[in-house]
Amino acid sequence: MTPHDELLDSVAAYALGVLPPSEAAGVEAHLQTCAQCQAEYRELRPAVTAVAYSAEACADPTAGAVAASPLLKARIMRRVRAEAASRPSSRRYSPAYALAAACLAIAIITGLMDLSLSRRLNRELAQSAAQTQTIADLTAADSRRYHFSDGMVVMRADRVYLMMHDMHAPPPGHVYQAWTLAHGAKRMAPSMTFAPGNGGVAFVRLPESATNIAAIAVSVEPDGGSLQPTTKPIAVVRI
Amino acid sequence: MDRVRARDADAFEALYDQYHRLVYGVAFRVLSDAAAAEDVTQAVFLRIWSAPELFRDGNFGAWVARIARNRAYDIVRSRNLHPQSELPETLPVEDAVDETVIANMSGERVRLALEQLPPEQREPIELGFFGGVTHDQIARTTGLPLGTIKTRIRTGLRRLRAALQETVTV
Ligand SMILES: [Zn+2]
Repeated sequence: MTPHDELLDSVAAYALGVLPPSEAAGVEAHLQTCAQCQAEYRELRPAVTAVAYSAEACADPTAGAVAASPLLKARIMRRVRAEAASRPSSRRYSPAYALAAACLAIAIITGLMDLSLSRRLNRELAQSAAQTQTIADLTAADSRRYHFSDGMVVMRADRVYLMMHDMHAPPPGHVYQAWTLAHGAKRMAPSMTFAPGNGGVAFVRLPESATNIAAIAVSVEPDGGSLQPTTKPIAVVRI
Repeated sequence: MDRVRARDADAFEALYDQYHRLVYGVAFRVLSDAAAAEDVTQAVFLRIWSAPELFRDGNFGAWVARIARNRAYDIVRSRNLHPQSELPETLPVEDAVDETVIANMSGERVRLALEQLPPEQREPIELGFFGGVTHDQIARTTGLPLGTIKTRIRTGLRRLRAALQETVTV
């Protein structure tokens, strides 16, 4: 069996959703570049859908198979009808919609026209950007954006956001740490520590005020962080 | 789905009637718990109602089945079992024709097709999809090499696909 046959097998396991997150990320990355694996993935996905359909509950509850209680439908429809009545036809600006818009905006800003990546971003944002403030900051026309190789810093008023993608998990016992350099300062000051999510994407708001930052750096540090960088920074952004 | 996006409760009800058995069934197979499966069903449908833009295109049944499985796995994960990758909810362009084939499948017909698979292919597929175990856990419990498990999953999925295409054209 060639190594690529093994990859095709992994694509099948990925399509079925049985790979651990780290391995899934590897397959996802390979899928971006390999037409043969993409074709395999497209072929197998309907079969995976079929597996899901095999669990479909019976229409006839007397047949003995599982079925949801009719009370469930009543409960759901009561809420849906109440909402539909209170908001006749006007489109609600739901947080999820704002979030999707923010992610799309960021994907365009960062030039990441990569669906898989923006989906992962979406997940990170969903966890950290619950507040509309964050979404407004990220998408505002007057926010300042500073790009670097695998990420972006966004500043608006005194708020600072750091976004990085394609990050490896830090080595065991280590974290990523952000550093800020104040105007006129000679040394980087320690900022927060963080780790990327499963998709290799990190999104954090730094506690420092944007008003006095001349540069931001990121390095790998032992758990708990350091007082000054102990490794060469993996990213440096001049503001 | 366009009408659901326009906040049409009747359209939403029709969608619920058509897909709730799929959503509930997937959640129940993953969780083996009727109350938890109902919670997942409710969460999935209320989410669709409040954020219909999450569904972009492709086959709705295929999409909602993935959401149902992912939400059920959230519960599995919160019960502190093994982590496992999510099914992509928005990823690549669907193979529209095939998804339509699947959409025309009833649970009954797919179950028959699955039963035609040799057990050594069917088991890792079902265990992997519904059982909350990763391929290496399957390998460990069966004592088979990882590569073998993956090959069986792939062969099984290909056969399943072929079997379903036949069922439709006959
Ligand atoms: Zn490949």
